[in-house]
Amino acid sequence: MKKVAVVIKDPDQQYEGLRTSLGLLLEATEVQMFVLHHEIANMDEAYSDNMEFLDEMEGERFSNNSANVEKYGFKYITLADVGAKINEADLVIPF
Amino acid sequence: MKVLNILKSEPDETVEKLGEAVSKDNQSSVTMLYGDQVDWEGLVNDIFLHDKVICWW
Amino acid sequence: MADTLGILVNTDKYLDYVVNLTRAAHSKGKDVRIFFTGKGVLLTLKHDFKKLVGKARLSICDVSFRSNGLHGREDEVPGVGFKDFATQAKNAEMVANMDRYLVF
Repeated sequence: MKKVAVVIKDPDQQYEGLRTSLGLLLEATEVQMFVLHHEIANMDEAYSDNMEFLDEMEGERFSNNSANVEKYGFKYITLADVGAKINEADLVIPF
Repeated sequence: MKVLNILKSEPDETVEKLGEAVSKDNQSSVTMLYGDQVDWEGLVNDIFLHDKVICWW
Repeated sequence: MADTLGILVNTDKYLDYVVNLTRAAHSKGKDVRIFFTGKGVLLTLKHDFKKLVGKARLSICDVSFRSNGLHGREDEVPGVGFKDFATQAKNAEMVANMDRYLVF
């Protein structure tokens, strides 16, 4: 099973990055999603539902933005540690 | 591991920091697609000569 | 068997890179597959998109195509049939099966 790091830096791509993460999880890929720098710009029903689904599918989600950790349950990660996780991944998908 | 870093645009601070982490633990090389003329056939060769390819932003 | 190259296009910024790389990979006998998703679907109606036809197997995220207001224009996309409007499973298939995987 391949391990994929989905790394989302562009706030306009936060939902697309989540959708891609979920699509990979549904096909039995191991996924770690990283939301960098920005708070989730639009925590609407679609994002919230898909985020829950990602959790149920045992995808992991991390952020270096404290608001995402406190409000939305992301695991905190430093940028240096994102680099380490990227090294462990087979593939990296930047958004 | 041989890692090819492809830069689609000029790297910002985030790309530089993440790229540093990659090059610290791997045999890392970089191809920039912006600016000078790109040898596309050479890039195809490089893609398959490296174990892993990262297309940064 | 030919080397395989999967390309995920998730932005509308780099069509020229995708065309140049695909042309080069095709000329070197690589099997290229491209999946357009998110804003990347906007490239499917650009003039240069047709340069990819015959050089790569093309598929498009149907949800993204619709959410970007393009529903009804499927026939205008060259080299792509209705069955090529697919789900994110197509991307997962590339991740699982391609020798190399790039993102533009």
